[in-house]
Amino acid sequence: MADTKSGRYASSSAAISPLVQGPENLECKNFQEYLRTRQTPETLEKFYHYPPICLAVFRELPEIARQFVIRILFIDQPVPQAVVSSWGAQKFAKEQAEATSCLSALNVWRVTAIPGGLAAWELSPTFKKSVRQALMGGGKPWPMTNTLDKDSKPRDIPFLDSYAMSRWRCVLHYMVGTGGRNGGSDAEAISPDAVRILLHANLMKRDERGGISITRQGFQFLLLDTRAQVWHFMLQYLETCEERGISLPECLSMLFQLSFATLGRDYSSEGMSNQMLTFLQHLREFGLVYQRKRKECRFYPTRLALNVTNKDAATATTAADEERMQERGYIVVETNYRVYAYTDSQLQVAVLGLFTELLYRFPNLVVGVLTRDAVRQALRGGITAEQIVSYLEQYAHPNMKLVESAIQSKSCLPPTVVDQIKLWEMERNRFTYTEGVVYNQFLSQNDFVTLRDYAQSINMLVWQNERTRTMVVQKNGHDDVKRYWKKYSK
Amino acid sequence: MGPPKKSKKDRSGSDKFAKKRRAEDDAYTQLVDDNDSMDNASESDGVPGAASKNAETNDENINTDEYGAKDYRAQMQLRPDHGNRPLWVAPNGHVFLESFSPVYKHAHDFLIAISEPVCRPEHIHEYKLTAYSLYAAVSVGLQTHDIVEYLKRLSKTSIPEGILEFIRLCTLSYGKVKLVLKHNKYFIESPHPEVLQKLLKDPVIQKCRLIRSEGEGEGDGFIQGTMDGKAITQFGTKLPPASDKPEDAGASTSSAAGAATAEGAVAIPDDITDFYEKIDKEEEDEDEANLKTVSFEVAQEKIEVIQKRCIEIEHPLLAEYDFRNDTNNPDINIDLKPAAVLRPYQEKSLRKMFGNGRARSGVIVLPCGAGKSLVGVTACCTVRKRALVLCNSGVSVEQWKQQFKMWSTADDSMICRFTSEAKDKPMGCGILVTTYSMITHTQKRSWEAEQTMRWLQEQEWGIMVLDEVHTIPAKMFRRVLTIVQSHCKLGLTATLLREDDKIADLNFLIGPKLYEANWLELQKKGFIARVQCAEVWCPMSPEFYREYLTTKTSKKMLLYVMNPSKFRSCQFLIKYHEQRGDKTIVFSDNVFALKHYAIKMNKPFIYGPTSQNERIQILQNFKFNSKVNTIFVSKVADTSFDLPEANVLIQISSHGGSRRQEAQRLGRILRAKKGAIAEEYNAFFYTLVSQDTMEMSYSRKRQRFLVNQGYSYKVITHLKGMDTEADLMYGTQEEQGQLLQLVLSASDLDCEDEKMPGEPGYRPGGSGTTRRPGALSSMSGGDDAIYYEHRRKNVGSVHPLFKKFRG
Repeated sequence: MADTKSGRYASSSAAISPLVQGPENLECKNFQEYLRTRQTPETLEKFYHYPPICLAVFRELPEIARQFVIRILFIDQPVPQAVVSSWGAQKFAKEQAEATSCLSALNVWRVTAIPGGLAAWELSPTFKKSVRQALMGGGKPWPMTNTLDKDSKPRDIPFLDSYAMSRWRCVLHYMVGTGGRNGGSDAEAISPDAVRILLHANLMKRDERGGISITRQGFQFLLLDTRAQVWHFMLQYLETCEERGISLPECLSMLFQLSFATLGRDYSSEGMSNQMLTFLQHLREFGLVYQRKRKECRFYPTRLALNVTNKDAATATTAADEERMQERGYIVVETNYRVYAYTDSQLQVAVLGLFTELLYRFPNLVVGVLTRDAVRQALRGGITAEQIVSYLEQYAHPNMKLVESAIQSKSCLPPTVVDQIKLWEMERNRFTYTEGVVYNQFLSQNDFVTLRDYAQSINMLVWQNERTRTMVVQKNGHDDVKRYWKKYSK
Repeated sequence: MGPPKKSKKDRSGSDKFAKKRRAEDDAYTQLVDDNDSMDNASESDGVPGAASKNAETNDENINTDEYGAKDYRAQMQLRPDHGNRPLWVAPNGHVFLESFSPVYKHAHDFLIAISEPVCRPEHIHEYKLTAYSLYAAVSVGLQTHDIVEYLKRLSKTSIPEGILEFIRLCTLSYGKVKLVLKHNKYFIESPHPEVLQKLLKDPVIQKCRLIRSEGEGEGDGFIQGTMDGKAITQFGTKLPPASDKPEDAGASTSSAAGAATAEGAVAIPDDITDFYEKIDKEEEDEDEANLKTVSFEVAQEKIEVIQKRCIEIEHPLLAEYDFRNDTNNPDINIDLKPAAVLRPYQEKSLRKMFGNGRARSGVIVLPCGAGKSLVGVTACCTVRKRALVLCNSGVSVEQWKQQFKMWSTADDSMICRFTSEAKDKPMGCGILVTTYSMITHTQKRSWEAEQTMRWLQEQEWGIMVLDEVHTIPAKMFRRVLTIVQSHCKLGLTATLLREDDKIADLNFLIGPKLYEANWLELQKKGFIARVQCAEVWCPMSPEFYREYLTTKTSKKMLLYVMNPSKFRSCQFLIKYHEQRGDKTIVFSDNVFALKHYAIKMNKPFIYGPTSQNERIQILQNFKFNSKVNTIFVSKVADTSFDLPEANVLIQISSHGGSRRQEAQRLGRILRAKKGAIAEEYNAFFYTLVSQDTMEMSYSRKRQRFLVNQGYSYKVITHLKGMDTEADLMYGTQEEQGQLLQLVLSASDLDCEDEKMPGEPGYRPGGSGTTRRPGALSSMSGGDDAIYYEHRRKNVGSVHPLFKKFRG
């Protein structure tokens, strides 16, 4: 009698297995996803008391969903679902369904029954009220709207940009562990609160000796672009803000108000609660707002704050602004895998060092080479080939973009280098897994051969060995083979 | 907080890895070129001591930073206007140059003169200062002071002290003295009287000196060393005004360079341009500078002695040939045809050679297909004295003759071929074309050949052109030099590169490298084809891979070459390109595979034993017959097979990790293609490698040279359309099984690469290759098994008594 055991069997064929998962990777969700997944309907309801949040939610909605909201915003009774779905052409039913589910998931509207037994949509009353307020005014004045005297020394946009970047870099410097040692002007240590956030976000961890060191996620974090970094960081901040006794909805609301602000204008912090003033100080520390002195009630939001929730910030701001904001490209990648980086920044060198073998350092240049070992080490650390490539692309030296091939294709990196980095990643995933069932302990060779031939005939055989009378059958073929075996052994 | 990337353990691990890698490289070097190791003993003479100095070790005690990079920041200061200056100089002699800098052109010209290019891709080039490159710099007229000063001006940072020291060390004594043949008398000439005085204090050199005023005295040793500055005879060396430039087309474009300076001078610090102009001018005014040289005459028969002695005392003599004033040797009547137009880089290389109206000896490095022969022909036409051309196969002898007839006014009566198959009458001819093995052959020759050799030895050759100079080991070259007397030597090659470093010795045997072209630039300007290089990964079939893992080394190779999916890929590619109307060459080092592939696909093939006639026939067919679009060749075709029509190359097996072979093979398809500018690429270079085998790592190594020249290899993991192509062979398991059986039953001999004569393990007539009528050695009668076998067995332990009998 053959004994069947269920088990997994590895074979080297096609398809990539879900079983070999890399180390936990950094997730960076957008605002909508954040609300959908982390917040319960009750908290959402709480959020919707704040008009700025509602406005932000509204702006983040898919276009069709926004249409729906606007259409029923001033209707004081539920609208039948059939009516709503009749607003769009049949052709776009899929998009409509998406919009519908999005609105439900965000608790913007909910299903109610109207007389006559029809299902209908009804906007959440809090949401409705807040959005109306946001659109038409009324309610409490927003805290930032107090008028100020004219600033005697107004700050212009380039100043704010450079200030924001230097503050933000400070956080990154701290992460790569160079902030303290360098002792440069912009390298002041960051506050314990920020450290706590980094720890909480799993970007850094405490090691045995009580020191703090960067984690794999931290490295991936470094490879993100600045906007994504700020957003990820703020999410982590918001998660911990309740612990610090700051109200989450209030923080969110404040953050969104900032994002609606105008760059280069000053705002007043007068009338803010103590909690919010603390929050403002934190934002100041990360470079999201500029404030001359701690006690001064005049502050300027920076581009970091403006972009924090705006998912298409890149397209919204003009190219010139963008360039000013982004550090200038400094990396040259050659077809012979050499990497030259015009930099002396510890941070940039540290990031490059993650996936290149550095050879020489000149006062304003670092020479490195992309080797298989270095890249593999990075891959092992959970960084993906995609991240490496996009980092190199993002900071590519302006001259890289002038090359003929770069103009033709969308990437300015040499295609062979990109291919190679991806091949190095693929190299690590060459095992493929097939779930299967082992059949062994056949009593006679004949039994074995019969069953094997059957399994083969229905294309379900994964592996067999005649000598040990063992065979493996694909999992979805197990029932068939078993049935055949029962029939045969009778 | 520690460095994020590597823990201590990791770093020691990587060190170990590096060491291992180095060991591997060494082992592999031996594998590739061990044929040279037998003449180690004689390798070091003829090379001055300073040549062994190496800047690479200068930075050994420099700290590495936390990422393992050499930290030079403490060694140099960034200059405030660094943005406008194009280069960095590392303490270990490596120089990095921005190719997008406005002064790139100047810096590039300068660096090419003083250093070796390491890699020249798109944006940032790397060069390396070596003893040899500095020697070359001095020999084309740059002074220590100029080099240091200009380097300082071009550099973004201050120059490390160690490098300055290195430059001084390598240039101070080099290039100061020249051996000039003028009016049929030999002179030792130098612009520095103190150097000549120093030389004359040496007793050996004293003996070689010839003093005219005492009649035709032969430097008989009685002349006492009472020379001072005044006693040194002063010769005006000003050239006749008519001839201050060679008459080749490469006469004057240096003023154009000056003009370019003015245009691009927007953001360039003045000192760079000023200095550039100064150097530029100096080059032109060299004749004037020569006015101040001092010289003394030496006896002709003592030339060898004095050359050797000068090297010993670290003043290597630069050989220059004042061919215009040589009345002893008759002029030959040869000129370039008006149709022969030199390309800018060809002109430039020739300018380096004839820069001061005399002919310098040296090596010119141009990519294959970039017109090396034209450079050689032009050089011969410029010198207009008897010329000797040496190349390495019978086929290229024919090709050289063709080249001479095509570019110059020379006709059949002037060109004499001297090979085992074609022996023209040498008397009265101006140009003799022959092979290295023909000259260096030590066995008995036919009477006719004997006569020619005698004639050849009696001649004083004006110029000797050495084709594919990288292929000849120093020892063989030395033998050539003892047999042939020539005033000036011009080496031509595409890849001045060997897996061992012996190439450097050529610098002192022939002369410094005069010019090296940038492949990528030539490609951009359309002088050579735009090649798409691709590495095609062929998965090993499970059966083959199982055998591969269990079998012994020699068979492994056959297994990965005969891998059925490789065969299929090859067949697919051939089909694909035949449909496009391309001409394809398939290379295989392994003869077994070569024959199998070719016979299976029914294509003509050429390898060692193929006779000269058959070769020429196949090549003619390939050129002109539209039905023959694909040929299979072994490594006999690596160099000097001129196949201008070919534009696709498929490599199915190769010689270990030889970078040179890779570059040479690429050269077969580099010749610029006509009318194909519209396309992005007009030539294709495929290397088929079996996945997960040694071939992969070999392939990496082979590519290093070309990758450093700016080529990039595209990796193809899957050939599109191959699955749907029905009539590829070895599709079924059964066929593959048969193939495996065939491979397994192959003899050990089949597993080896084809051996060229002269390589260790070369067995003439052995391994089923019955006759080798066309091979190099047979042309010169070198098919003597005992000669080679004997040498191998007795390496290093020859009784002195036996030496006598072996010559």
